[in-house]
Amino acid sequence: MTASVELDPVIHAAARLRVTTTLAALATGDRIAFPRLQKLLEMTAGNLSTHLRKLEDAGYVEITKTHQGRMPATYVALSRVGRRAYEDYVAALRALLAAGALTTAQESS
Amino acid sequence: MATSDTGAPTEREPLTAEQTLALIDGQRAKVDAELEVAPSRLYAAWGVAWLVGFAGLYVTAGADPLLNVSRGAAFAVFFLLLIAAMAFTAGHVARATRGLRGVSATTGAMYFWSWALSFAALPLIISSVERLGAPPAAVDLLWTTVPGLLVGVHYMMAGAMWQDRHGFGLGAWVLISTCLGALAGLPGAYLVMSLAGGGGFLLAALWSAARRRAAEGSTGCGRTL
Repeated sequence: MTASVELDPVIHAAARLRVTTTLAALATGDRIAFPRLQKLLEMTAGNLSTHLRKLEDAGYVEITKTHQGRMPATYVALSRVGRRAYEDYVAALRALLAAGALTTAQESS
Repeated sequence: MATSDTGAPTEREPLTAEQTLALIDGQRAKVDAELEVAPSRLYAAWGVAWLVGFAGLYVTAGADPLLNVSRGAAFAVFFLLLIAAMAFTAGHVARATRGLRGVSATTGAMYFWSWALSFAALPLIISSVERLGAPPAAVDLLWTTVPGLLVGVHYMMAGAMWQDRHGFGLGAWVLISTCLGALAGLPGAYLVMSLAGGGGFLLAALWSAARRRAAEGSTGCGRTL
């Protein structure tokens, strides 16, 4: 990769960018139930799970499994690291735009 | 997964910085709209309840009322309107905040219980004053103004907690209206609560809706991140 501004590849995929954007819209310290998150993103459960796992592996997302009565419930939140990574990503993107660059760094060829 | 060779857009296909930013802004706007507790609608619901409800109490008050309708009917309408506004508020807030846990939910729950408990304390306090022999006119004035005090204080509290200056201002206005009502005495207090109180809520609703429309219209994606 030769771009002067590097964009975090974990966040840069369109689907995961939408996931992190949605989670970043929550106040710090808030978590969202998986079905509500799914609805806000209009993604299938399987697709969302896959992307959440990647974000969780990177330490960007915290997943809490709990129970509501007898029903298992999953809550998702951006971790501290994840929120910082997202803010850095957006800042880098704005810097890129300000610098007049039209395309982002491509995956290494 | 399809490859970029096919020409079909895939997740691997890089977006331009502009497209990426548009994606962020679009999703952010959608999420904010879905999660927002829209104050304009809540103000409107309470504005109508106060304007009509207190007006009903005013025109049926006294020995020679303006409107020859039973006092009981006016009270029934008043309480039905309050219950409707309460149900609307509960439904709206529940829809906006469902599936959310954490700090905001805890704050919201404590704020809700502050409303519920203070209004539960109200009849206890006023009936205690009544038992000490306070004249009926004094008891009626308490019933009209102490709820106004609680509403004003809660709006100001909400303004402080959620950094909402306009909500705080509305609370202060409700408090002023309540004081004016208390100074006017009954039945004038009903008219003050209707016009100044209910009217204040409705103006706040209109203003809040207009401000929101202006914010949406000006940039479309001007949210700071």
